[in-house]
Amino acid sequence: MLALLGTLGVAGAALGAGLLVVRGARAARPGGGTVDLGAPTRLLLSGAVVAMAAMQLALATDDLTIAYLANHHATTTPFPFDVATAWAALEGSILLWGLVLAGFTWMVHKTYRRSPDELGAAALAVMGLVALFFFGLMLTVANPFEVCVEAVERGCVASTAWPLALAEAPLEGPGPNPLLQNHILMAFHPPMLYLGFVGLTVPYAYAMAALALTRPGAEWLRRSHRSTLVAWSFLTMGIVLGGWWAYEVLSWGGYWAWDPVENASFMPWLVATAFIHSGLVQQRRGMLQAWNLVLVIGAFALTILGTFLTRSGTINSVHSFTQSAIGPVLLVFLVAILTGSFLLFSQRSHMLVGSPRVGDLVSREGAFLANNMILTVFAFVVLIGTTYPLVLEAFTGTRVGVGGPFFNRLAVPLSFLLLLVMGFGPITPWTATPPGLIWRRTRAPGLIALGAGLLTALTVTRIGWVVLAVVLGVFVVAIIVGLLLEQAARRPEPSLLDSLRSVVGGDPGFWSGQLSHVGVVLVALGIAFAANLGDHLEVDMAPGETVAFAGYTVAYTSPFQETEPGRTTRGARLQVGDDAGRSWVMEPAANYFGADTTGVSTPAVRSRPSGDLYVTLLALSSESATITFDTSPMIWLLWVGGLITAGGGVLSIRARGGERRAAALRQTADV
Amino acid sequence: MSERGRNTITLATMTILAVLIVFLVATNPSEDDRVARLGSAIMCPVCQGESIAQSPAPMARDMMDLIEERVAAGASDAEIVDEILSSFSGAVLLDPPVSGPTIVLWAAPVAALLLGLMVIWWWRRAPVTSGEETPTRPVRTRTAVTALATIAVLIVIVVIAGFFLRERTDGLSGVAGLEVESLDEVSNATMEAVIVANQDDPAIDGMRLALAERYFTSGDYQAAFPHFLAVAESEAASASQVVTALIGLGWMAWDGNGEAETALGLLDQALSIDVDSITARYLKGRVLWCGLGDASAAEDLFTALLSSPGLDAESRVLIEEDLTALSESEPCR
Repeated sequence: MLALLGTLGVAGAALGAGLLVVRGARAARPGGGTVDLGAPTRLLLSGAVVAMAAMQLALATDDLTIAYLANHHATTTPFPFDVATAWAALEGSILLWGLVLAGFTWMVHKTYRRSPDELGAAALAVMGLVALFFFGLMLTVANPFEVCVEAVERGCVASTAWPLALAEAPLEGPGPNPLLQNHILMAFHPPMLYLGFVGLTVPYAYAMAALALTRPGAEWLRRSHRSTLVAWSFLTMGIVLGGWWAYEVLSWGGYWAWDPVENASFMPWLVATAFIHSGLVQQRRGMLQAWNLVLVIGAFALTILGTFLTRSGTINSVHSFTQSAIGPVLLVFLVAILTGSFLLFSQRSHMLVGSPRVGDLVSREGAFLANNMILTVFAFVVLIGTTYPLVLEAFTGTRVGVGGPFFNRLAVPLSFLLLLVMGFGPITPWTATPPGLIWRRTRAPGLIALGAGLLTALTVTRIGWVVLAVVLGVFVVAIIVGLLLEQAARRPEPSLLDSLRSVVGGDPGFWSGQLSHVGVVLVALGIAFAANLGDHLEVDMAPGETVAFAGYTVAYTSPFQETEPGRTTRGARLQVGDDAGRSWVMEPAANYFGADTTGVSTPAVRSRPSGDLYVTLLALSSESATITFDTSPMIWLLWVGGLITAGGGVLSIRARGGERRAAALRQTADV
Repeated sequence: MSERGRNTITLATMTILAVLIVFLVATNPSEDDRVARLGSAIMCPVCQGESIAQSPAPMARDMMDLIEERVAAGASDAEIVDEILSSFSGAVLLDPPVSGPTIVLWAAPVAALLLGLMVIWWWRRAPVTSGEETPTRPVRTRTAVTALATIAVLIVIVVIAGFFLRERTDGLSGVAGLEVESLDEVSNATMEAVIVANQDDPAIDGMRLALAERYFTSGDYQAAFPHFLAVAESEAASASQVVTALIGLGWMAWDGNGEAETALGLLDQALSIDVDSITARYLKGRVLWCGLGDASAAEDLFTALLSSPGLDAESRVLIEEDLTALSESEPCR
């Protein structure tokens, strides 16, 4: 029954998407007149909602006749992991993708003005085309609602797309991947990332619309700006949550491994970040039109490449699912997007020639140019490091590993360059810089930054990278604060607080951007501290033994075992005390899910403002436990900084909304 | 004080601070943690894209122990890396050298940076036509865009070609009733079902063995038993398949049921087919020592094993540990 409902939902959404393409294209023709695109958009969205609702209902009622559930769900999977099972495997994740895409399409439609709005109509048609592809996938190679016709003990070996087929259900399913039911963050990380990935379809759709209609100018940028910021904020949040999850669950004390799939989410982020900045240049000064199109196409193509890397089984990673026919299909789609977009681009290149050049390189647009250069090269480094080993192995059979050491060697200097540009960017004016201005605005921040660096070197550490991170981080923040104070001093308001408020209120978009910059600085500091200043110890302990580590005293009390439905936990109970006389229990453990005999190691983490104590169980027997202890100094800066970065993005969405309202008000006043 | 004087003082202070910082950083008595550095540069062969320093997998721990041992013995970085790479199959460097095929990885970003700078330079020099279309400008822009598009598409096509080539190289064929590229992607349940459906197909032994080994590694001896037995008795199975199955049965008999004599019989049977099998000889030694208390026979076996060709470093470490325990008359662990 639910399979039928779900299939109908998917089919309805696909129909809506198809109608949107046809009617959108008609409305986009010159003189296309008023065409109602509301009906197809609503059909697309409601179809997608019905399909996801059917999936959730099936999960809630343990309907194992649906092959997806038979193979990925277990009746014992607890809340909220049963909800998250809807996107814990290939077909379901495509369903979530489709739902989010339908949501963004609806968002685009809300700004569609009906009476001649060719650009909006064409953008909706492109959104419809992408939606048609994804719902088409769900009707063919990645059907989440296939009915199981041949069940085995735990799972389903044969299924059919025909929803009314005579179904056979296993008594129990294997449950989702154990790693995915280990931590609550896992329920949030994928939807956030999908909101980010899919949201980048909107600027792509508008860009293609502007090209197809030969509309130069920044209208396509203005109209997709909101979606771009929404997408970017969620992508940022998704990546941070992913790192946090890895840290809390994966037991190696890290948050980022340059795993191909992590890279797949990072590349679109880098390109989208570049786009947000260079889009400002075009909106403000009409420059970089062609470059913005390259970035938008690139960001969108990279999200598809990311999906391919995650979903095709090409690579080994904690993220990869089993192989299916979806890999080649996604690749064909990727090629079609790239050829189609660039073909259209080259046909319309004449509309871009008039765009002005950057005059003085010491200017805001010059800083944005440097920022774009670094971010794109960064993205390129990640891209080549991720794909080159695959290509090389395929053609020559030579296996090479490209991992942390390679990426860090290039990413660290690039990040420091980025921080430097981030410091100078906000204080350089547009167009040209009067002599002495930069020096006037940087001398105090520079002094403060160097002072902070010296203080760090004297009291905390003399490791070069950490000191450099402190100097550059303090420099960026001091510049922002200095600029804020400088502008506040020129305000007429009597109190400082009021004038600050009026400065920020005067240009909320800019100041939310600076908030994101502060977030990035915190992330950089968190990474520098945690990566360089941690302690590490690995010991074999017998029950009753005690070790001292980095100011903590750890006593191994006893092994323990806990059994819950669907999960057995075996671990070591430790009594930990610190210098201040506080004492607490930590339980690093391994979780065994269902019939799975390979345990998932779960670390125990104790967070304090000075940093975390991170304890992992490597091996456990009745006589002894092998345990590793790590400290991650100030690692919380990383999570908080990431959330502040994303928060700046969210605030600037609202800020843009405010500006639009203000513009509308001015217009009414003029009338 | 004049503006100029203030600036001079600020600049001087900045310089002093910078020099002090650089001095402190440069004279930092850094202790190079060689074990951690080497460990983080080698990919763990059995886990998913992690370095051996990060992975809790037993094999990675063994490799880390080996590094620690060699570092303590004073071996050079290159020696240690070479030793690890040659003795653990599947181990690869995570830090590609700036030579050979991986030079591309280092050269490409530099090339991209230079290209970017060149494009910016060219773009700033090119005259602005401000809307007036001259015949050459659009052509030039179009050529540039088309070239860019062609490069992008070519790269993607190369990646795709790579993807398919790769599949073909490790493809697995000949298992009736199931078309897959590699057995790794098939769930236990599916394998069971396929095996039941193709019981009489001689080609099924490979899958049986793969499934049995999976159960075996996860400690589920009961599920592994019938499959190992079927392969051991199969007439179609190859000699090496039979040996593997006999070893599996032998070890389960000892480790699972404590039947040392049965285990010994099965292992001898395996050795009668392949007299050089390192696993069979090692396990036989373990059974002799731990099951029958025959320490001297075990010691002989282990000593002989150490000189046999094809012994990997991981097993060597294990055997050496056992021999040390034997020579000190410690009980079997």
